[in-house]
Amino acid sequence: MTTNVEPDTTADDAPIEIQLSAGAATPTHAVAAGQGAAAGPAQPELGPPIFQLRDLGVWYGKNEAVRGVSMDIPKNAITAIIGPSGCGKSTTLRCLNRMNDLVPGARVNGEILFGGEDLLSSDVDPVDLRGRIGMVFQKPSPFPKSIKDNIEFGMKVNGIKPTAERVEQALVDAALWDEVKDRLKDEAFSLSGGQQQRLCIARAIAVEPEVILMDEPCSALDPIATLAIEDLMKNIAERFTLVVVTHNMQQAARISDQVAFMTVEGKAEGERCGVLAEVGTAREIFSAPKDPRTEAYITGRVG
Amino acid sequence: MTTLEAPGTPPPPPAAATRPLARKRSRPSEQLFKWLVMGLTAITIAMLIWLISSVVIKGAGSLSWAFLADKPSSNPDKAGFNSALRGSVVLMIITIFFAWPIGVAAALYLEKFATQSAEASERKVRERLGSGVSGVHAGWLRVRLSWLRVRPRVVHLVDVNISNLAAVPSIIYGLLGLAIFVGILGISKSLLAGGLTLAVLILPIIIIAAREALRAVPISIEQGAMALGATRWQAVRSQVFPAALPGILTGTILAMSRAIGETAPLIVVGGIVFGTAVPSLNPLDAGNEALFAMPLQIYFWTDQPQASFQAIAAAGIIVLLATLLVMNLVAIILRNRYSKRW
Ligand SMILES: Nc1ncnc2c1ncn2[C@@H]1O[C@H](COP(=O)(O)OP(=O)(O)O)[C@@H](O)[C@H]1O
Ligand SMILES: [Mg+2]
Repeated sequence: MTTNVEPDTTADDAPIEIQLSAGAATPTHAVAAGQGAAAGPAQPELGPPIFQLRDLGVWYGKNEAVRGVSMDIPKNAITAIIGPSGCGKSTTLRCLNRMNDLVPGARVNGEILFGGEDLLSSDVDPVDLRGRIGMVFQKPSPFPKSIKDNIEFGMKVNGIKPTAERVEQALVDAALWDEVKDRLKDEAFSLSGGQQQRLCIARAIAVEPEVILMDEPCSALDPIATLAIEDLMKNIAERFTLVVVTHNMQQAARISDQVAFMTVEGKAEGERCGVLAEVGTAREIFSAPKDPRTEAYITGRVG
Repeated sequence: MTTLEAPGTPPPPPAAATRPLARKRSRPSEQLFKWLVMGLTAITIAMLIWLISSVVIKGAGSLSWAFLADKPSSNPDKAGFNSALRGSVVLMIITIFFAWPIGVAAALYLEKFATQSAEASERKVRERLGSGVSGVHAGWLRVRLSWLRVRPRVVHLVDVNISNLAAVPSIIYGLLGLAIFVGILGISKSLLAGGLTLAVLILPIIIIAAREALRAVPISIEQGAMALGATRWQAVRSQVFPAALPGILTGTILAMSRAIGETAPLIVVGGIVFGTAVPSLNPLDAGNEALFAMPLQIYFWTDQPQASFQAIAAAGIIVLLATLLVMNLVAIILRNRYSKRW
């Protein structure tokens, strides 16, 4: 178990070990067009944006869940979305790979530029998009099959040949290989909760996406499993863009480069809707928050 | 970190004396209920034991390999159960061949495709209509749009009526089978007509069971697959369906054990209560074979006045019950062995 995790806010300083896979998993395509057109506020610490959210809003039937979210998400960095529960963090995250298409009654408006193109546009193929923008859910949700089958499924549907090396590489990247290398044929359900979650991350990595979205990936796990996953997130952030929803501010402080703070705003009587209160580098948000709501939240007075 | 002193902290409550622990007491209503439930269970079990033992006492003497291998006869000492057994086997094969794929496909559609993402597809179709297509294509898009609009109502209607269909008395299915398979399709009154009728009879049961099984698979499995870039069909086919399969098979076996004991609908579509033919076991010949079945044969024998016919009827019942028992056992094993605790 690695224990080099300290609660410092400068995650970039931490030593990074990466194993580059033989097949050059670093994604290079599709970032050329539209770059720098609307680069947003200058943030020297962060790289160029991969997502540019423009006035994003989501409705579930007649309820407005999220309104007016505009922010950039830098490439090859970890962006954390924090905020009280029900403020629309998951909703916002699900927009980024069009998972909200699967929610009956959900409507999304605004724009999400991905490499300069609006991924919400109706002629964009959501299936292909999800192969490039993977997702890990709150509750570990392995398929009721073997560990190996779990990794291979995503490869098969994305037309990647599922070789033994690729399976191994994904498991190595997800820091799970040593624990499962002798039992790849075992049921995924025989793993512990933390291992199952790392398997789900491995499964997402195996598809070689450009972005991995994680919705409270550690909230069902114990502290040690949580640290293992945080370690692994920092290790893979060099190759993938990570967007992580968490309700744990210490975690956000430990892992993230950029932090977006969302909160609930009362509109008319009784109506509540999630908004983005503030976005900035982890250092800005945790040491000098501009919005009083952010300060109240991170000092633990609200939520 | 700021620590705010709450204004006017309430004083701590005075230390109350601990109340002594209550003594054990009897709760008569609790006892009464327990005995009532136990009594009712005992009555049910007693009736079952009485039924089985009386059948076994009456029929065990007539049970032999010869009984299973011999063809029917008007002489009760020579009469065998072979034609009935063969008939029931062929009936089950035909029933399952038609009911399973149709029932499972219907369940998959209703559960996984009918209600999903109507908004997204509707928006897409409307946008394409707006982008200036013309002629046949536009007409086709308009048809799709109207279908998407009425689809929820149609699905709801189908939903309600499948449950209703499962409750329709089986003789009605016999009449339906007679009208459709014999009347309209012109199939002779044969094992084929009987099998098709039984297939229609258990179709709603299979659909309901398969939908339950599909619904029991957590949505996270499907979404997890789709989040990896799988289409809905890929997610359902490779992950959801295999996970639901044990449940679907359990439901299918239970539906079959309903079908194998049915008598009334078979009589309506021309079941043979007395005959001496021996039907072929090949289901492809079923269109020309007389409609024999275990419950029909039992029905005929119990109707005869001679005591020796009563004995072979009891022997037939033992065979039918044993078949049912084995089928239910397989269903239980399937359920216990493969059911997942998510
Ligand atoms: N599938 C859904 N259908 C209807 N309302 C939903 C759905 N998912 C979320 N919501 C609503 O949207 C709001 C934001 O939810 P969510 O994004 O899950 O918040 P968070 O992840 O920050 O806790 C909540 O008010 C919630 O009730
Ligand atoms: Mg959430």
